[in-house]
Amino acid sequence: MDFYKGHVLKIDMSTGTAEVEPLNMEWARLYVGGKGLMLRYLWDLTEPGMDPWSPENPLIVAPGPFAGTNVSTCSRVVLGGKSPANGTILDSYCGGSFGSVLKFAGYDLIIVQGCAAELTAVLIKDDKVSFVPAAKYAGMLTADIEAALRADFDPHMTSLSIGPAGEHKLPWACVSNDQYHKAGRGGTGALMGSKNLKAIAVAGTGRVTVGDARAFLEDIERIDTDYILTDSNYWVHEEGTPVLVDVTDGAGCQPTRNYSSGTFKGAGNINSEAFKKIRVKKRACYQCTLACRNFHRINDIEGEGPEYETIALCGSNVGVDDIAALMQFNHLCDEYGLDTISTGNVLGLAMDMTEKGIHDFGLHFGDIEAYLKIPEQLALRTGVGAELAMGSRALAAKYGHPELGMQVKGLEAPGYDPRGSFGMSIAYATSDRGACHMRSFPIGVEIVEGTMPADTLDESKAEFNVTFQNHYAFKFCGVWCDFWAIDYEQMGMLMKHLWKREVTEEEMTQVGERVWNLGRLFNLREGYSKADDVIPEAWLEKPFSDGVSAGKIIGTARFNEVLGQYYALRGWDEDGVPTEAKLTELGIDVRL
Amino acid sequence: MPHVMISSKKCTGCHMCELGCSAWHEGGFQPSRARLFADVNPTTAVIKGHSCLQTGCAKCQEACPNDAIVAREITVTPSGTFASKEKVGDSVTGIVLVVDEEKCNNCGDCYDVCPYGVIHEHPERKVAFKCDLCDGDPQCIAFCQNQYVLAVDLKVDKADRALTAKA
Ligand code: SF4
Ligand code: SF4
Ligand code: SF4
Repeated sequence: MDFYKGHVLKIDMSTGTAEVEPLNMEWARLYVGGKGLMLRYLWDLTEPGMDPWSPENPLIVAPGPFAGTNVSTCSRVVLGGKSPANGTILDSYCGGSFGSVLKFAGYDLIIVQGCAAELTAVLIKDDKVSFVPAAKYAGMLTADIEAALRADFDPHMTSLSIGPAGEHKLPWACVSNDQYHKAGRGGTGALMGSKNLKAIAVAGTGRVTVGDARAFLEDIERIDTDYILTDSNYWVHEEGTPVLVDVTDGAGCQPTRNYSSGTFKGAGNINSEAFKKIRVKKRACYQCTLACRNFHRINDIEGEGPEYETIALCGSNVGVDDIAALMQFNHLCDEYGLDTISTGNVLGLAMDMTEKGIHDFGLHFGDIEAYLKIPEQLALRTGVGAELAMGSRALAAKYGHPELGMQVKGLEAPGYDPRGSFGMSIAYATSDRGACHMRSFPIGVEIVEGTMPADTLDESKAEFNVTFQNHYAFKFCGVWCDFWAIDYEQMGMLMKHLWKREVTEEEMTQVGERVWNLGRLFNLREGYSKADDVIPEAWLEKPFSDGVSAGKIIGTARFNEVLGQYYALRGWDEDGVPTEAKLTELGIDVRL
Repeated sequence: MPHVMISSKKCTGCHMCELGCSAWHEGGFQPSRARLFADVNPTTAVIKGHSCLQTGCAKCQEACPNDAIVAREITVTPSGTFASKEKVGDSVTGIVLVVDEEKCNNCGDCYDVCPYGVIHEHPERKVAFKCDLCDGDPQCIAFCQNQYVLAVDLKVDKADRALTAKA
């Protein structure tokens, strides 16, 4: 078979056994791969209301069909399950090389269920799967565990591993691949930790076929030159994500001091220009020609990142503009295995509550000494970390100030305050995993391109979000990277190789819509409802007092009206439930 | 004489060169069968490129008891751009060392002497396989194509240790 390997590797941690099952090709046709395929398997593998911390909660690892070829950016994998952080769908993406190498080993999907009695590592070498006791790796940081696995088993192994945060089941523990690549959001690391699974390492020597390989190579060479290595994509290579600091700061939507402002005085110290001065090298994920990643060195700290989200949440949002401290903080989060978005949110919240006199956590905006202790304290749940580990929603509620926790559906917010980009309010409220900028990104049209006003919210924004979400839901089935601004025409050129026929935009949009609706059904099944499609009140009712977005207000009534329009455009009823007609139209075969 | 080489300093670690190389020769993407490779340390970003120097090295040819490494004339005209294009020009004619599969009996003497680890036993054909400069259109150059990286380069050196008489 071309592109797909046709194999699903099912791992049972409780019994220490693995078996290979044929890939469900009907699902592969309907859901393509990545996010969609993961979700369809997730639905089938779980009972409604399943406790996400239970052994039954599957960890599903799904690359897309183009992983293991030279289609740029498609080495990415999605890690999925039911989120331990908040109980929504969990789909968290990670670059690096795992997706490609998994295909060389012969698998389209890994499903891990059960829980091992002791900390365990799973090794996959082509068709051989083994379970090794991981007591000697317990507590190891990311760099060490990866190096140990390579040294102990195979120098070519690449692994998905957790740091101490995952072992201690921090709800926003992440999973690492090739040191700097993280499946960050939603607690993939906690999910691994809850299975006593320290690492999955894979080495593969097999082949991914694509039909006529030489014709394929010629086509990809053309696509790369015409559509990837273009002037408009050049920023990815030249700047990488730190370029967003000036963009969001200039637009008044950079989270600053627990989202109390959209502009940060120290932004110039932690923007792309500042990072370029300490850049040593450009790096790339496996099978990616864009090479967005920046390897930095300052003092004795070196490594990739921080990316924009880290700069915003662990920089401006906690009042830190010291580039060396930020590098070190990022490094510690990488090593201990923490998602920096949630970390920066919780920390900003604790600092805010301290400074407002609500509760003294001993943490203050800009206090670098205390700040640098946080990653370890959170990961090991020691000191103040023991309490902060409950996350923004619970922490803010505990001290009677839920309005200070910047989260949606329990997931902490990323680096874009909707007060500077109104369309983001609907993007966050309707995102299938809580506050997330990777489902729809109105920032692009409202700020970067300026083709839609940033300070209006009306039906056109509802429509924009629907279109974008469908596009991205499909894009994440092929598992193209966000940084390739790939449109339907270009995806069609690649899909033509996969399906061996012309593929229309309509077909691809429909896959995206199908995936989006299945995600919605899952969340509804797990108890989420319209009442949860809300965002923090401050974003709707409390205008900023400084920056270009000062004084601007979305308003709750307006927000609710546009949310209703969004449901209607989606073909959902007033309560945000997909109608029978919609599900039938999309060929979704499951029901609530 | 023409050969390809990875600049370890410029290389981003994307492995596109290996993917292109394997797909062109093996009919599918299989980096374990690429004829060059980038050895990447993910943590430190230290990269070491491994590729065949052709006649600038020729240790395999010297070691082969069966005269199975033969010198062939080749004109290399990369379809992709590369760093030293201005210096080297669009096209270079010279010698490439290729495996004569009729003569190779997979004794393995060359595998041991290659300083770069880029000649191996082909798992199915049970003969040596190595870089053949892709009939003149090196796929590693074609796919190391980010114009701001261009880590795989076409090099031409004067050294010619190939025992051309054995051709
Ligand atoms: S653009 Fe960057 S993150 Fe995306 S696949 Fe390429 S190297 Fe990885
Ligand atoms: S294609 Fe170029 S940048 Fe990528 S690994 Fe090969 S030499 Fe390095
Ligand atoms: S020139 Fe061709 S055979 Fe030689 S390493 Fe490059 S891609 Fe492989």
